[in-house]
Amino acid sequence: MRVPIEVTVNGKAHRVEVDTRTVLADMIRDQLRLTGTHVGCGTGSCGACTVMLNGRTVKSCCILAPDVDGQEIMTIEGLADDPRHLHPIQEAFVVNHGLQCGYCTPGMVLSALQLLNENPHPAEAEIRRGIAGNLCRCTGYQFIVKSIEAAAAKMASKK
Amino acid sequence: MISQEYEFFAPKELAEALAILHRFAGKARPLSGGMTLVPMMTLGVAQPEAIVSLNHIAGLDFIVETPEIIRIGAMTRHRTLETNTLIRRYLPLLSEAASHIGDVQVRHRGTIGGSLSHADPAADYPPIMLVIGARMKIANAAGERWVAARDYFKGLMETDLRPGDLLIEIEAPKLAGRFGTGYQRLHRIEGNFPIVNAAAVIEQGFRSARLALGGIGDRALLVEIEKHLRNGFNDAALDAISDAAYAVAKDAPSDLNGDTEYRRAMARVFAKRAVKLAAAAIPAN
Ligand SMILES: Cc1cc2nc3c(=O)[nH]c(=O)nc-3n(C[C@H](O)[C@H](O)[C@H](O)COP(=O)(O)OP(=O)(O)OC[C@H]3O[C@@H](n4cnc5c(N)ncnc54)[C@H](O)[C@@H]3O)c2cc1C
Ligand code: FES
Ligand code: FES
Repeated sequence: MRVPIEVTVNGKAHRVEVDTRTVLADMIRDQLRLTGTHVGCGTGSCGACTVMLNGRTVKSCCILAPDVDGQEIMTIEGLADDPRHLHPIQEAFVVNHGLQCGYCTPGMVLSALQLLNENPHPAEAEIRRGIAGNLCRCTGYQFIVKSIEAAAAKMASKK
Repeated sequence: MISQEYEFFAPKELAEALAILHRFAGKARPLSGGMTLVPMMTLGVAQPEAIVSLNHIAGLDFIVETPEIIRIGAMTRHRTLETNTLIRRYLPLLSEAASHIGDVQVRHRGTIGGSLSHADPAADYPPIMLVIGARMKIANAAGERWVAARDYFKGLMETDLRPGDLLIEIEAPKLAGRFGTGYQRLHRIEGNFPIVNAAAVIEQGFRSARLALGGIGDRALLVEIEKHLRNGFNDAALDAISDAAYAVAKDAPSDLNGDTEYRRAMARVFAKRAVKLAAAAIPAN
């Protein structure tokens, strides 16, 4: 069964026809061609598919595409409008080696954004808790935590 | 992509949702946060003929207080329960339990109604529901009914919900002032389902006391502890509570997280920890 939905993604309104069996992650990747959102496990465990739904991070492999009709989504592509001007969190990941293969990174960065939106000066334990829903198989997390600490400092100094 | 075809409904009114569920006579599934149901469909474990999303119905996501009671809509997300000031003040056990569920993303989307409907035997909420004396409001096309938590959980992922039913509200008496509460869970990795969990509520002067355990059987169970606290809180009382917890956990499951004997031993430990915490948290006057 196919249904039309209206959804705002990274500030842009879209009308898409989706198979009711499509999960949000697949709609974003295959229909909107925004391939920054990754799919690792497909069953809610790894966080690679993290996007923001109405301003809150969610796992887009566990949400049905027809269920986001009328809602607002932000993917990693929505974070910086120009690749030459990265968001401070993205910049901090680059500078501090917060990624290796990069598969987990879009989800990590969005979880970091969620955390810093609510808690601009997180302690290390709070950072680790904030990214608990995002698995990384490469870095051992140390440099990810360091990147988020650096991003927090930078964002605070800009205010 | 989910392989099995199904119809998708996103009603805006509760009555409409109930009518669709009635029409499909058990072959349609309500969808709340989808944190359990969508992976089950992706894996082919759940193959409903229709999905009825509750995410677009106004009036199922609320937290309100009356002088004695807190009322919670079934679509309230875990993260809201974790952070809401009414819940933190009057049902602190519930916000604490919510804070342990999965991770931030899971808590943003998952709902209390979905969790209590799924009724995983080791979920965070069920022991809390038992000790706070919660009631569940269930609706179907024919009407509504209230079920007390102790009658709601029936067996392994089995509740009082029947085909066509929706859990729409949870209510519980405010637990502030005269009560001390404690919640403890055993997990190997933070954010995983508990292996064993325990919740306790104790009233000033030990006038009343309740303890419930999860992960120790096909569902969460109450442990009778009031009689052991009649002569106050001491080592003998704790030993008796530990023995009672061990006895209640007699049918604890065996799996990779621990066998029956391990879970029974942990039932002792976590029962005592929850009771100690609750006793220490009783307000002084
Ligand atoms: C990575 C991960 C970690 C998790 N960790 C924990 C944890 O530590 N502790 C814990 O307790 N839980 C945990 N969960 C489960 C989580 O709490 C789910 O949110 C919850 O079990 C289901 O809620 P939901 O709103 O997502 O329900 P859904 O997945 O939408 O539905 C679950 C089931 O209930 C039915 N249903 C839903 N709503 C209703 C209703 N109102 N009336 C009748 N039936 C209904 C559905 O048809 C389905 O069968 C975890 C989940 C994930 C993905
Ligand atoms: S792909 Fe969604 S959580 Fe792993
Ligand atoms: S950088 Fe490879 S998974 Fe995290």
